[in-house]
Amino acid sequence: MKKYLVLLLVSVSLWSCKNETKKNTELPKTQSTTVPLTYANGFSITKHSTHSVLEIKTPWPTAKSSFNYVLISKEEAAKTTFLKDQYDGIIITPIENVVVTSTTHIPALELLHVEETLIGFPGTDYISSEKTRARIDANLIRELGKTEGLNTEIVLDINPNVVVAFGVDGKNKALETIRKANIPVIYNGDWLEKSPLGKAEWIKFFGALYNKEKQADSIFNRIESDYNNAKKLALNSKVKPTILSGAMYKDIWYLPKGESTEAQFLKDANTNYLWSDTKGTGSLSLNFEVVYDKAKSADIWLSPSYYLSKEALKKGNVHYSNFDAFKNDKIFTFANTAGKTGGVTYYELGPARPDLVLKDIIKICNPELLPDYTPYFFKPLK
Amino acid sequence: MKPQKTYTLTFILLLLLVILLFFVNVSLGSVSIPFSDIVNSFFTDASAYTNKEYIIQNYRLPKAITAILVGSGLGISGLLMQTLFRNPLAGPFVLGITSGASLGVALVIMGSSVIGGIFTAILISKWSLVIAASLGSFLVLLSVLIVSSKVRDTMAILIIGLMFGSITSAVVSVLSYFSSAEELQQYIFWGFGSLGDLQWNELGVFASIYAVGLVFSIASIKALNTLLLGENYAKSLGLDLKKSRLIIIIATSLLAGTITAFAGPIAFIGLAIPHITRLVFNTVNHKLLIPAVFLFGAIIMLVCDSIAQLPNTDYTLPINAITSLIGAPVVIWLLVGKRKMVF
Repeated sequence: MKKYLVLLLVSVSLWSCKNETKKNTELPKTQSTTVPLTYANGFSITKHSTHSVLEIKTPWPTAKSSFNYVLISKEEAAKTTFLKDQYDGIIITPIENVVVTSTTHIPALELLHVEETLIGFPGTDYISSEKTRARIDANLIRELGKTEGLNTEIVLDINPNVVVAFGVDGKNKALETIRKANIPVIYNGDWLEKSPLGKAEWIKFFGALYNKEKQADSIFNRIESDYNNAKKLALNSKVKPTILSGAMYKDIWYLPKGESTEAQFLKDANTNYLWSDTKGTGSLSLNFEVVYDKAKSADIWLSPSYYLSKEALKKGNVHYSNFDAFKNDKIFTFANTAGKTGGVTYYELGPARPDLVLKDIIKICNPELLPDYTPYFFKPLK
Repeated sequence: MKPQKTYTLTFILLLLLVILLFFVNVSLGSVSIPFSDIVNSFFTDASAYTNKEYIIQNYRLPKAITAILVGSGLGISGLLMQTLFRNPLAGPFVLGITSGASLGVALVIMGSSVIGGIFTAILISKWSLVIAASLGSFLVLLSVLIVSSKVRDTMAILIIGLMFGSITSAVVSVLSYFSSAEELQQYIFWGFGSLGDLQWNELGVFASIYAVGLVFSIASIKALNTLLLGENYAKSLGLDLKKSRLIIIIATSLLAGTITAFAGPIAFIGLAIPHITRLVFNTVNHKLLIPAVFLFGAIIMLVCDSIAQLPNTDYTLPINAITSLIGAPVVIWLLVGKRKMVF
């Protein structure tokens, strides 16, 4: 029996060796270590002695295969030849300039103090961060047009080291053209992470591109411990307020499902989200009757869609004004917290700073737990 | 033509059916509400409503009334158009009413993407959509009317209406190309149609315009019956063709335009109800057809809405999907069964 086991082990290791060699034909065979990730499932970084391999496991929701990129220093790259087909891109690190395509990528650049490497962005009006806005106003960041129709000519003109994109279905022609022009396109899948900390852990992805892994680690560790401390603090609350979320379009109410990131925040804040027992991560579309019957007396109503005032809410639908949370002024929204050019701060900074989001919710639901804290995103709807 | 007496019983039955279905519609919904609560809700003071009473009084009742207005209004305007154009394929929207309304709505929802601003368009008050839809359909209709006053042939109006439809849909597609996902979503949701979105005050405005449209329709009964004989024959009988045409078009635009503005473009009903009615009543006399279409429209819309509510589940289906899914097979079945179309 033992003999067979040994044989099996040997054959398995041989088989895996074979796979390994196939991938790295031209790379020196060395020991590799995987960078530990606690929450993020969408990417992995494997370190070899001369280079790292960045794997994007789920570039878009229905992706069947992963994307692999080699991260290598200039010196090592000069010594090595890669077979072009084996990897989806060879990236010389640290990268010196970059094009990112989602506002959620901006906080990572700023936290790592590399925001000056950003040279282009599609739809710059959506960016709210003051630091980056100042650079946009100084014409240091080129406008690349709308996300879906990324202006290929300008991208080719400014020729960034890397384009950090996001894919909805992998059928973006503009990105394909850019890739063919030998500009590596990396699909960032931070938005597909389910847990709040999983989204935030993508700062390590940017850390790897800039050779700033250590800084990325320590930034993330701080966010993680802040988040977990806040979560512990929330357990001290005496009351668990009931929470309603979302708003209607026509007579259908859209609210986050029980396993969505939003619902996880509400759970970690030790609140009673009325739809926390629903399955799935998207959004529920419920009939008005059901929501009214269940949540009319909910204590707190969070993020009523894009409504910016109680007046607008009432104008949108008289039914809203009949909810207890409306009458008691217990509606809170992040839609009012926007940058100079109208981009909503929560969408930009929220995924990178789950600690702030969680503290906001705790402050709203149990103000006595965080007496000195001022909510960052969520403000009362007036 | 058969004597009118034969239909009295049918009318009474249909009316009873409308009343029955109205109560069924009000008593069915996502939240199951016992009959006693429904009755009680009529005797409770509005400030003391329980959740269930509130749902009955302020959601289900306006929705059921909207269903009746939408079904009957679309049915009648469909009938008017089919007779005016002597074309069984005509519906309330052949004059470009829906396309005009969708252009108005598209401009409000998606226009800002083209003109500027990021989130300005995400939140749009209901009245601005209603006004945009009404203005849109009114302007398209006005253009059709102006052009049609220059043409003699009624068929030409039909084609002009279609052409205006193509123009507006082209503009809409350009707008959607430049729009954000949220805006597109909002526009598409508008296209699904909805009966449950009207509050009492909105319903009041809706019903008043509807009533005017209904009066115009009733006023044109004689002209409609004469038109069935053919335009030339109608003229020789002393019918002022241009004037009658104008009244019929105004009636249609008031009915279909206001319905589209308040409930969105509801598919199929306007085309199918007149056919179903003609097959059941076997007559072409509009004195009978208009009230019959009214009742059939109300019945079918109430049934469709009851189904769309998916009673006792948390979800609702878009009303537009149900009207076509339920209605189309009914018309096919009726036509196959009768073998001969009454037109």
